[in-house]
Amino acid sequence: MPPSYPSPPSITHRPALDRLRREMGAGGARHGVLAMDKAGVDACLPGGGLPLGALHEVEPGHEVEPGGPGSVTGNGAGAQAQQGAVAAGFIARLLGRLPDPRPCLWVAVRCDLYPPGLLAFGLDPARLVLARARDDAAVLAAMEAGLRGGGFAAVVGEAGRLGRLAARRLQLACLRHASTGFVLRRWPYGTPAHLPAEAPAAVTRWRIAPAASGGPWAPPRWRLELLHARGGTPGEWIVEAGESDASGIVRVVAELADPAPASQRRRLG
Amino acid sequence: MWLPNWPILRLHRSGAASADLPAATVASERGQRRLTAVCPLAAGHGLRVGQALAEARALCPALDTHEATPDEDAAALSRLAEWATRFTPLAAANPPEGLWLDIFGCAHLHGGEEKLCAAIADRLHEAGWPARLAVADASGAAWALARYAAASRADGVAGGDARIRVLPPGGERTALATLPVGLLRLDDRSVAALRRVGLKTIGNLARLPRGEISARFGPLPLLRLDQAFGAADEAIAWPLPARPWLEARRFAEPIATPDDLARALSLLATGLSARLEAEGRGARRFVARFHRVDGVEPMIAIATARPVRDAAYVLKLLLGKLETVDPGFGVEAMALEAAALEPLAPAQATLDRQPDHATGLAATLDALIGRLGEANIWRPAPHGSHVPERATVPAAPLAVVPWPREDTARPLRLLNPPEPIEATAPVPDDPPILFRWRGALHRVRNAAGPERIAAEWWRRTPDPTRPAHDFIRDYYRVEDTKGGRFWVFRVGLTGAPRWFLHGVFG
Repeated sequence: MPPSYPSPPSITHRPALDRLRREMGAGGARHGVLAMDKAGVDACLPGGGLPLGALHEVEPGHEVEPGGPGSVTGNGAGAQAQQGAVAAGFIARLLGRLPDPRPCLWVAVRCDLYPPGLLAFGLDPARLVLARARDDAAVLAAMEAGLRGGGFAAVVGEAGRLGRLAARRLQLACLRHASTGFVLRRWPYGTPAHLPAEAPAAVTRWRIAPAASGGPWAPPRWRLELLHARGGTPGEWIVEAGESDASGIVRVVAELADPAPASQRRRLG
Repeated sequence: MWLPNWPILRLHRSGAASADLPAATVASERGQRRLTAVCPLAAGHGLRVGQALAEARALCPALDTHEATPDEDAAALSRLAEWATRFTPLAAANPPEGLWLDIFGCAHLHGGEEKLCAAIADRLHEAGWPARLAVADASGAAWALARYAAASRADGVAGGDARIRVLPPGGERTALATLPVGLLRLDDRSVAALRRVGLKTIGNLARLPRGEISARFGPLPLLRLDQAFGAADEAIAWPLPARPWLEARRFAEPIATPDDLARALSLLATGLSARLEAEGRGARRFVARFHRVDGVEPMIAIATARPVRDAAYVLKLLLGKLETVDPGFGVEAMALEAAALEPLAPAQATLDRQPDHATGLAATLDALIGRLGEANIWRPAPHGSHVPERATVPAAPLAVVPWPREDTARPLRLLNPPEPIEATAPVPDDPPILFRWRGALHRVRNAAGPERIAAEWWRRTPDPTRPAHDFIRDYYRVEDTKGGRFWVFRVGLTGAPRWFLHGVFG
């Protein structure tokens, strides 16, 4: 008797395949996207926006002196790596625009996030649940517990180290429970001397540093770098995050079309 | 123990009735308003219990009437009995106007029965409750003597304290012989029947043959007579001490395997859950203790964001921590205790098995509390204070406190405590033009301010060594040439101002 083989996929599965292809093309954006600015930044992102239900990594970059040596960008150095204030502002702005009404969880080792300051970024502090963890590993474990519980629209963790395995677990938890995860790379007690190079496991990876604003106490400007986007292309912009910006999360002020240093930096990071 | 006129006393105590006016409580009895209790002033006007209200009003037009509340009176009496457990473990309410106290074996702790009674009477008198106490071997005798005003005056056994009567053992017959039969706790019809045939005192009744009494007046007078003389026991419903929210289980053989421990935990959780459900309560903390054979007691504790009582859920949280328990040579007993109890209405299971957001959130929070500890999860709540450090307080993770919409600029990261910086300002009143923080130099490009925030004088302890301007901060928002935005403040208006960095903007 000849062995029976599974029958080949029939032609009726085409819609399912199409959907799968669409999702793969959108970088796994199964739960929709969050439009950033409906222009320059979104063009670099798969699906035209930040994928929801996925893990994103935000690292603070070094501030650059205008006119000074522009290439001094490293993985977290100085006050920005310790404070991560600009990165926190970027994440707060994203959380405030999430379509999901559930609360958000913010886990950190050093809880110096000041809730009244969140209002300026359009995030209601009442939506936030804060948690304190012992170390980086506990932060990531608490993030995973928060994602798996399914009670939060988004989970933010401030951690210095993000191993590939931990990132992969978080990404799967995000995908399965339709929550968005953010890892804010932060070293509140100083950057360690040697940082191992990590392969990206998050769907997108951003580096953000402050930039000189347009005038006396104009809306803050950030130097936003998209280091990696699954299914997208890297980019670098100077953006403005104004309080009254109803159109998107950020507004691109200047496009920094300088692909060579950007790719160089990606290898460094 | 007798508390004469308990309903009226309660009225006076609560302030509902003035002690200067004649007061009475009334209740509807067979369609007629009748008095159920009268105060001594009203009694002086000729009012008595059982009188019709209309008649009482005719006798005493100024009568202050209140609706009778027998249930509340009895509840207050139960609370008083609970209070009396500090003198004896056995204290029960005896409505409408008395308490039973079993002081057997307790009197010597207070130096004798008289002293114990005096202590109770004194404490009650201080609290505004005039009480009369009697001690006897038999419940009926004590009841009668406490209520018989003339008795203590007649023989003066208790050294002149009219509130207390202590009967020596076996003295019931002589002490009760001259008391009226009404003190035997009989119903009105029996008393009337006894009086009709001339049996006015208890002594008269006791001399009759027993058979004759029960044949002519029914079983009640004989029972009460026996209870007064100690020949018959009286069943008093002593309130049980409150059962703690604890389920415990001892094992014939010590158990050590995780499976056995989990099974035992499951039994304990099921028992506790059934008890909580019967009382309509839930708990927010559970502690499981493992009594090991070598005397060590490991424990695991869980806390939840909302009160729970579902056995499976509690078990799931406990099992998550069971691996931290070292059973050693075996566990011979286990106990599960619930704390932080709150009312919890029975939940209506959703029909379509869809987990709603609030329940999902609570379960997620419980998992996080188990992982990080109860003190490490909170929700920021606003607090009415201008001092930045005090403007937010932690609230329960499930409490949603709305935030006011304010447009005062506040940083995203607040340094606590503020860090001193070296700043250079051209004029003392100006923002700095450059400052050094953590070794890095920042040149200021834009600045806004000042915003003056002073310490709250009502919270500050006066300190003569510190000048008043030490408690005033002038805040500036500054942006350096690289775009970093900081919140700095100056302390000290004259002399050498000191500068601090308090926060970083996003």
